[in-house]
Amino acid sequence: MAKANLSDPVDVLIVGAGASGAAVAWSLADTRMRIVCLEQGNWMNPSEYPTNGTDWEIQQHGPFNIDPNIRRRDTDYPINNDESPINVVNFNGVGGGTVLYAAHFPRLHPSDFKVKSLDGVADDWPISYDTLDPYFNQNDRMMGVSGLAGDPMYPPKQPPLPPIPMGLVGEKLASGYNKLGWHWWPSDSAIITRPYEGRDKCLNLGPCMSGCSQGAKSSTDITYWPTAIRAGVELRTRCRVREITLANNGMANGVIYYDEGGNECHQKAEVVVMACNGVGTPRILLNSKSSKFPDGLANSSGLLGKNLMFHPVAFSQGVFEERLDSHKGPQGCCILSKEFYETDLSRGFVRGYNMQITRGAGPFNTAIQGYASGQIPWGPDHHKAFQRQFDHVASVGVLCEDLPELHNTVTLDPELVDSDGIPAAKINYTLSENSKKMLKHGVDRAEQVLAAAGAVEISSTELLQSAGWHLLGTARMGADPNTSVVNPWGRSHDVKNLFIVDGSIFVTAGGLNPTSTIQALALYIADTMKKNLANLFD
Amino acid sequence: MNKGNITTDYPLTDVQRLKLGCLLDVLIPASQDGHMPGAGDLDLIAYLQAKAIDFLPSLIALLDGLDEDFPTDNFERRYQAVKILSNDEPGLFQELIYQAYAVYYQSPAVLEGIDAAAGAPFPRGNTIESGDLSLLDAVLATPKHYRKAPP
Repeated sequence: MAKANLSDPVDVLIVGAGASGAAVAWSLADTRMRIVCLEQGNWMNPSEYPTNGTDWEIQQHGPFNIDPNIRRRDTDYPINNDESPINVVNFNGVGGGTVLYAAHFPRLHPSDFKVKSLDGVADDWPISYDTLDPYFNQNDRMMGVSGLAGDPMYPPKQPPLPPIPMGLVGEKLASGYNKLGWHWWPSDSAIITRPYEGRDKCLNLGPCMSGCSQGAKSSTDITYWPTAIRAGVELRTRCRVREITLANNGMANGVIYYDEGGNECHQKAEVVVMACNGVGTPRILLNSKSSKFPDGLANSSGLLGKNLMFHPVAFSQGVFEERLDSHKGPQGCCILSKEFYETDLSRGFVRGYNMQITRGAGPFNTAIQGYASGQIPWGPDHHKAFQRQFDHVASVGVLCEDLPELHNTVTLDPELVDSDGIPAAKINYTLSENSKKMLKHGVDRAEQVLAAAGAVEISSTELLQSAGWHLLGTARMGADPNTSVVNPWGRSHDVKNLFIVDGSIFVTAGGLNPTSTIQALALYIADTMKKNLANLFD
Repeated sequence: MNKGNITTDYPLTDVQRLKLGCLLDVLIPASQDGHMPGAGDLDLIAYLQAKAIDFLPSLIALLDGLDEDFPTDNFERRYQAVKILSNDEPGLFQELIYQAYAVYYQSPAVLEGIDAAAGAPFPRGNTIESGDLSLLDAVLATPKHYRKAPP
């Protein structure tokens, strides 16, 4: 399909080519509308991923770091985390966060959509698990999800591919959970375990979080995008959107963006879809000020950028006498436990967490992290301490549900700007007392299961700083325009041709990695748009 | 200045090179059984020239700060000197550790010594145990199930 002329409005303009933008583009493509997606980053070249070289671990600290403030690619924008104990991590490029995510791919639970009704806190979503169920299944097929049917902690579902190997790490921890009588199950993973849709199966390289050279990890640059582009969607890279523009009638009529050369461009559009995650989306909307919207576009509720939710993460590591081959296999995907996922007020907090078993680090990271923690010294004791840890560890990540609070915000930094002069995002976030109690409880239980599994040394971190992967809640959905930014199918209450499809619209966060739910939600919104095309703006 | 350089592009003098080898062997000594090489056996300078050239001037200054006797001292005295260095120059020392570990744990000899495969992970890949899924019988035997929610 020929590229759209900037002076001609396209039918649908999607901002962001990550998890949700790709899903929406693919779903809408069958309408044969003129669809353009603007992405500030580049296409990724799998031959440049770190596992192609011997310095694969070193690159995780530089150009493939998960923290944009450390990575500092010219396609990144800075984020001011000074007022937050958790740093935002992300990736900017085709595929977005899925390029560097661990691909741990659980769905939210039915209860996660109704926390007000069930537990009297936060708010219910205007939709339910059942609303999203067909889109979860559709997304699992599109992404290529591996897992095992039959988990009693979910309604029935059937992942299209068999589960990731548990390995010795998974077996060891599973035995610990069984001793305690606690739930566990093989993780749903967006990593293909058999050849699937032209992609080859996982090779157990290990460091999924620096990009998958094999293409077995399901990032949207190799799942949704090739199909969407074949169906006619145009994806323009190195286009950094500054603001959404408004027509006199109060409808969005396009965006202003900078191309790779820094040239200011105006792309007109009939419909604008925001898909830039829970930080990027409010950043652009807050920067889209006008006389009609002096506090940012679609912000008559005053809730844009508020209620930011991360998932606070604690981490416990056990050292075992036996060699567990810990550095082999998908690092973040193994088994998980939902034993403490649902509310039990006798624990001293509301809602809960999942325990995600992760594998160990490679040689360099084992050594350098051991140096930082004081567990592996330099000097004559180095080898003994190193060999005690390397390939002998298993870890438990405690990923806690974060409840929405108005004072946790994304705003525009008054001074910090990106390379195009666009204000950076500033994060103000305070860990709640509920989250602190949950983290403490989770660490205690993580240490308990590691001990039950036979760990001889256990160490814990009660809050990981660089763990702000899950950026949720900053443009929440709801039926009431006074208490939400978008309606139950992602359309702005204020601007009828503006949609938001990313994690911003989560009402609550659940206690699980959100990508599966973000994408199911995006597919649901796209489907609802298609069903309402004749009266989309009514 | 720089008397004793062997090649025109090698940035260290003989004395500095001697000090560097001894310093690295204090950070990661060869194992007593000879299984693991010392870090001084590896070419940190070539690595820095390729990957972290900005650190070279700081490293040279650090080496010049060590006593002339450092290479001829016994291990214990060298160890104490490096401890002092780590306290006096914590930022620089941390960077030295980072670079020394980076070159050490990419070395094929080292990786062989720790029973890890040398070279790039891709396309070699790894084999791992699938795991015993019959362990799930214990989970399925419990009455736990997901929490129902209102529509």
